[in-house]
Amino acid sequence: MALFVEFIKGPMVWISSAVFLGGLLVQVWRFFAITRKKKPLYQPAAAKPKEKKPAKKTKQKVPSGDKLTIEAINRRLQPLIRITDKQWNNLENTIFRTHPIVALVTVVFHLLLFIIPLFLLAHNELIRGALGFSLPSLSERLADTMTVVLLMCGSFFLLRRIFVRRVRAITTAWDYFILLITLTPFFTGFLAFHQWGDYPTVMLIHILSAELVLILIPFTKLNHMVYFFLYRLLIGSEYSFGQGKRVW
Amino acid sequence: MIVAEKKPLVEIAEMVKPYKKVLNIGCGGCTSICLAGGQKEVAELTRELTREFGNRGAEIQIHELTIERQCNAGFFDILDGMVADYDALLSMACGAGVQFVADRYQSKPVFPALNTSFVGFDKDVGWFEENCRTCGDCVLGETAGICPVTRCAKSLFNGPCGGTRSDGSCEVDTDTRCAWYEIHQRLKSQNRLDLIMKVRPAREWVNQMRRSLIQEPYKDRYAK
Amino acid sequence: MSAPVDQEQIKSMLTAHRSKMKRYLSHCMHCSLCAESCFLFTKNNGDPQYMPSFKVLNSLGKLYEKDGRVDRAFLEKIKPLVWKSCALCGRCYCPVGVDVPAMIAFARGICRSQGVFPDDEQSWL
Repeated sequence: MALFVEFIKGPMVWISSAVFLGGLLVQVWRFFAITRKKKPLYQPAAAKPKEKKPAKKTKQKVPSGDKLTIEAINRRLQPLIRITDKQWNNLENTIFRTHPIVALVTVVFHLLLFIIPLFLLAHNELIRGALGFSLPSLSERLADTMTVVLLMCGSFFLLRRIFVRRVRAITTAWDYFILLITLTPFFTGFLAFHQWGDYPTVMLIHILSAELVLILIPFTKLNHMVYFFLYRLLIGSEYSFGQGKRVW
Repeated sequence: MIVAEKKPLVEIAEMVKPYKKVLNIGCGGCTSICLAGGQKEVAELTRELTREFGNRGAEIQIHELTIERQCNAGFFDILDGMVADYDALLSMACGAGVQFVADRYQSKPVFPALNTSFVGFDKDVGWFEENCRTCGDCVLGETAGICPVTRCAKSLFNGPCGGTRSDGSCEVDTDTRCAWYEIHQRLKSQNRLDLIMKVRPAREWVNQMRRSLIQEPYKDRYAK
Repeated sequence: MSAPVDQEQIKSMLTAHRSKMKRYLSHCMHCSLCAESCFLFTKNNGDPQYMPSFKVLNSLGKLYEKDGRVDRAFLEKIKPLVWKSCALCGRCYCPVGVDVPAMIAFARGICRSQGVFPDDEQSWL
């Protein structure tokens, strides 16, 4: 048992990290292998000339539009940014309008998935110990709050899966597993930080589940981590960001 | 597919402003595929109109519904039960759809929210090109699948004019390929050049350049 | 019409598009955010049957799951999913970027190859 724990805490960390990075690289390579560059087309006659960006400091007239929304938001954000009518219209066409809460929770959840483990003080101490350098760290209090937020976002997804009819209609056992295994490292990390429960056991589950997630990412639907960018940036569609330079 | 383009907002607003309750009807057929009159555009137009009338201080209610096709009686069940509640109908279908709706609900004023542009295909996302002028007498079998009526600037029917440039482009617009040059090249590659010798009687064509259209939200993608 | 289903043909069709279709299928996160982008979903008062992901998972998804070993009854079962519940207007939204219309079109192709397609007078596609 002690040997097993040592293995999980030592070599297995490196193995899972290697599988994670290598697997993702292979996935990206596969994507480029099975897609090809789109044949260049001529410039369409109806294309409009490229808009010149307006000089930064010019005082734009507040765009006409929804008084309660664009103008109010612009007034608040005055010194920072200004949302134009067009940008607002584009935003209204996204899930931020159809499902503002789900969209917001999704964004926060995915951001925290990266921010917490990468910038956690305890992780960085371990990384410094092993590699001699580390990433900047968040304060422990902030990281703790973020973890709670992330767990709340995760629970939101879980509750959606259970109670919203349309989500339930397509949910499989695998979806629950993927969601729960993704949340486990964060939950156990939270427990460990507060020294709740049997510390060695909690820590073991923490490390074990995190390694499992890392290994699972390249080979399961979790690899939407890279495919989100590959699909939405590189394959042209109504919802792609930009023109889309590749086709299947 | 029929390609259409949204009318300017002000024009639409002017048409429907005398009415208190307007139903904005989308079409799940061609105009949805060409990104002009599907559910998303219906929602967008409804928002824009509501905002526009809100700014004008006019109390006009606009509701929305998208049906499979506006050119076929089989899809009007839900709509039949709804129109009585509205003073006017706004259709985001092609000209045929608008007329179908107008014929079906003859007591209601029906307004087009789109300009029907042409029959064409998707060149890329949001970018469409005219390929058929629905002339009613198809010659594509003899012209290697390239329509001289649509793709020749002069709709010439018996070979190119003298304006074909040495690189095979059209004298009217250098970005356009000469249709007859293309027809010749393709027929030659298929060993069917004899077809080009056939003389076809003249017709009266309306002189028009081949049309293409990029839907407004996609214009940035193809900016020069 | 009652000829047996050519499972080998289905299998070879599935294999030919495997790398693209399996990827798309596996990248469906089952999040249901595509629902509102389907006008048929909206028109039918939010019936999950009309959700783009539901249609695709229960047609093409099942075909891949069974690796083409399906009978005519199965194809007849997915027929309304890929034809009647979908106008193939191509406007489904997917946050990950999954191309739902391509998968529906492919599922239709597989059905068609076995002579399963809307042929009654009421059919509209």
